[in-house]
Amino acid sequence: MRENKRGSARFFSLYLPLAVLLVFLIFPFYWTLVTSLKPDRELYGSIVTYWPRNVTFLSYENLFTQFQFLKPMSNSFLVAIITTLLSLTVSVLAAYAFSRYRFKGRKVFMMLFLTNNMFPTVLLLIPLYSIMRNLGVLYTPMSLVLSYTTFTIPFSVWLLNGYLDDIPRSLEEAAEVDGANKAQAFLRIILPVLVPCIVATGVYIFMTSWNEYTFAVMFTNEANRTIPVALKNLIGELGVQWGLLTAGGVITIIPVCIMFFFAQKRLVEGLTAGAVKG
Amino acid sequence: MVRRKTNIWPYLLIAPALLVILSVVFVPAVNAILMSFQNYDLRRPSQTGFAGLANYIEIIKDPLFGEALVKTILWVVFGVGFQFVFGFILALLLNKKFKGRGFVRSVSLIPWVTPGVLIGLMWRWIYDGSYGVLDDILLKLGLIGDKIPFLAQESTAFPSVVVTIIWQGIPFFALMLLAGLQGVPRELYEAADIDGANAFQKLFNVTIPSIKNTIFVTTLLRIIWVANSVDVIFNMTGGGPAYSTQTLSVYIFNTATSLNLGYSSAMSIILTLLLLLVAVPYLRSMFRNQEA
Amino acid sequence: MKKILSIVLAAATAVSVMAGCSKGETGSQAGSGTGTGAAATSLTYWYWADNSSYSAKMQEIVKDFNANNKSKVKVTAQEYPWDGGAYSQNLFTAAMGGGGPDIATFKLTSTPQFTANKLLANLDSYISKWSEKDDIDKSLYDIMKQASGTNSIYVMPWNTQVLYVYYRPSMFKAAGVSVPKTYDEFLTACKKLTRDTNGDGKTDVYGFSMRGSKGGQEPWGSFIQARGGDFTNFASPEAIAGMQDFINLYKNHYAPPTAPSDGFNETVANFKSGKAAMVIHHIGSAADMVKTLGNDVDAFVFPAGKKQWTSLGDTENVVFDKCQNKDAAFEFVAYMATGKGQETWCTATGNVPVSKRVQKLPAFQNNKFMKVSIAGQPHAGIFPVRDTTTDWINTVWPNTVAAALSGKTTAAGAMQTLQKGLYGK
Repeated sequence: MRENKRGSARFFSLYLPLAVLLVFLIFPFYWTLVTSLKPDRELYGSIVTYWPRNVTFLSYENLFTQFQFLKPMSNSFLVAIITTLLSLTVSVLAAYAFSRYRFKGRKVFMMLFLTNNMFPTVLLLIPLYSIMRNLGVLYTPMSLVLSYTTFTIPFSVWLLNGYLDDIPRSLEEAAEVDGANKAQAFLRIILPVLVPCIVATGVYIFMTSWNEYTFAVMFTNEANRTIPVALKNLIGELGVQWGLLTAGGVITIIPVCIMFFFAQKRLVEGLTAGAVKG
Repeated sequence: MVRRKTNIWPYLLIAPALLVILSVVFVPAVNAILMSFQNYDLRRPSQTGFAGLANYIEIIKDPLFGEALVKTILWVVFGVGFQFVFGFILALLLNKKFKGRGFVRSVSLIPWVTPGVLIGLMWRWIYDGSYGVLDDILLKLGLIGDKIPFLAQESTAFPSVVVTIIWQGIPFFALMLLAGLQGVPRELYEAADIDGANAFQKLFNVTIPSIKNTIFVTTLLRIIWVANSVDVIFNMTGGGPAYSTQTLSVYIFNTATSLNLGYSSAMSIILTLLLLLVAVPYLRSMFRNQEA
Repeated sequence: MKKILSIVLAAATAVSVMAGCSKGETGSQAGSGTGTGAAATSLTYWYWADNSSYSAKMQEIVKDFNANNKSKVKVTAQEYPWDGGAYSQNLFTAAMGGGGPDIATFKLTSTPQFTANKLLANLDSYISKWSEKDDIDKSLYDIMKQASGTNSIYVMPWNTQVLYVYYRPSMFKAAGVSVPKTYDEFLTACKKLTRDTNGDGKTDVYGFSMRGSKGGQEPWGSFIQARGGDFTNFASPEAIAGMQDFINLYKNHYAPPTAPSDGFNETVANFKSGKAAMVIHHIGSAADMVKTLGNDVDAFVFPAGKKQWTSLGDTENVVFDKCQNKDAAFEFVAYMATGKGQETWCTATGNVPVSKRVQKLPAFQNNKFMKVSIAGQPHAGIFPVRDTTTDWINTVWPNTVAAALSGKTTAAGAMQTLQKGLYGK
């Protein structure tokens, strides 16, 4: 009886809301998947089918044989991973400074970082293109890394700064009393607690560079096209290649989800670390 | 604890970040500010010249600007508001222990992983008034009698794009808040349990105060991000029908792509100032908390 | 510690890989445009393709050109997304930023912004020396001149598409409608073809698949002109009457309720799925329609009212002013206009060739849709190309027409907005 009651409480407080949210979040992906498996004829039928009557994997086949989707995928991975590592390193340092030091110009710099993201990129495109050209990085992955970091760093600095402010200072003060210097206290005490936040911020940076289109179309050519540009190529003046496009979408989403599946395990690490030190 | 003596460490720590930003974005940004005071239309380069506040005066008289401003406010309030509420709920749920949690955590990120190129197109396809699955579901459930052309009507187009941006933003809040939740010391909950607090009391007395800075920063960043976002609306409706989904950022984008850069810059500076207006009270209370 | 070390190692490898890439790229890029002194031996060409097989076709054409051209240059073709027309914007951004290609696929409507910023090469002297210049009709050259607002040609014709009306013979038969010969008959046909086929009280087939979103100005123009209006004055009573006809089709439910947001995809899908009996588009979609509908699709030229007009779609090639080897670039655009490039591309895509020689080839003469295209050619025209045209097409037209369709503004009010949008205050 009691078991039952606890079970139903858990149902209403966990499984039901979770299921509702998940249906909303995942349905469009499901629909993308179904679309990728449907033959063209079934797409614009008078009856909407929730699972294709004739499943076809032709789009997936074409995606890798004709369309050579692996190339933009590896380009996207390269850009996203370098951007993530670079932005994270730089941002952790800056966020630590903003959170743990009080110095002249702190507020001004923080504001500068904030306003940086308020300006629409479309207005910066022509001068940015010139800058990339003059730096000699145009049409290389470096141009994307450079332009993405300018937008991910300020965002990440602010995010990490928020997390750091939530971590009680008593943690590192205790260590400093024990004779550790600031750097040691940071590495040994703060960093472990910060791991989940770093992972989350890293995911943010990765997603941003993974999905970016405006810079990607301007700063790359066919040798280093990223996924969003490759997908956009499938939307011509004369219609959308639904099969290829949705198959491309599915193929783009799955590896990132798998990557996150492993990354999210780190989200728990901070918890245990915090509990020990707290 | 608070160091008042001049210390070069903080400057060294922020230097790399500052360097990257300033070296790339500084010149274009200053350039954009200058453009806003000029007659700067690349379709008529011969007429380029200093124009004082002419762009700003024209904006005030522009009925589309006023309309877009109202749309922007609704877009941000409803968009970010619901993203936060649902994202927070999702974070709390994903923080509980249950079987398959890792799997659920990663699939709930899907909206965020979906390439922007695909988001607009897929949602347009879902909302489609002839072949769309949403109409089909609503019809089968008996909720509507006739198919609704969601994106073709002024009354339904805006709510439809707002739903899409909510969908897209939930994983951001869920993940960021979930990370924040990991830092809440367990003892606080144990103490609350001893006091006989119920779930809601724990939420408002323990959880929220412990991650308030995180909540603060994520909502602020998200407001800026959503206010500036273009691609969801642009790919779904282009701002139409009859300008009913044209937010300021979409208007700025449309004017910039039609090459009236002066006017577009002036509008984006107004948007930036408005965002600062939202940010300042935020920052004030944040800085005040830190001084205390 | 081990973990940190491995991360550092990974980063170092990544950076070195990147450096390697960047060296390779700048190397190959140096050949294009930046070369000094001697004429460049490699040229960059930007194009968009409507699907991946067209893209492959383009690479094939360029390969053939590289093997056989007299200038001994190598053209590298780079595909860029059409992106609902943002292609032209990206091209412009790159060119204004000092980069971009030497040659590019082009749309006439963006000519003014490129010429105003002196980005395009003047082709007059090349064309006057060109042996095959008469293979292209003079009227096309005139349209190119008109678009630049000067007496010079900056844009090289490549292929055109004449809009016409696709219809479903089976539906015409079922509704007892014959192919309309006048504008009035066309409007009546829209009404008669709108039917409730299964008796549930809801419309199942609409007469006309209307395009209310971006690009819809092209079919819409036929209505304006059929009533005797023209594009110099949208606010004339004749033009307003044409607009009223357009609105009435929607208000009376002879067009699907989704019309205000329907673009190319939706209008054609409505036609292919049997939701609409007629749609206006050009030959570019013919192959796909035949694939879906077999013999149950045919076409006619948009009929005459007081006047007869249909829209001429176009795709051209341009040479950029910064190109270091314009002779070779011209050889390429000429190859695309009248040479083997023209033949291969138009055969593959089904576009109407601009070369008279290619037009006469049997593959083009025996196609029923090509016949309708050629029959429509005398009535085909373009919208005025002004520096406001792009913005007018992208935002002013769709939003104003949507407001008129929903009843937010009247036909007259909408036409005034359209007039102001194109010609200023």
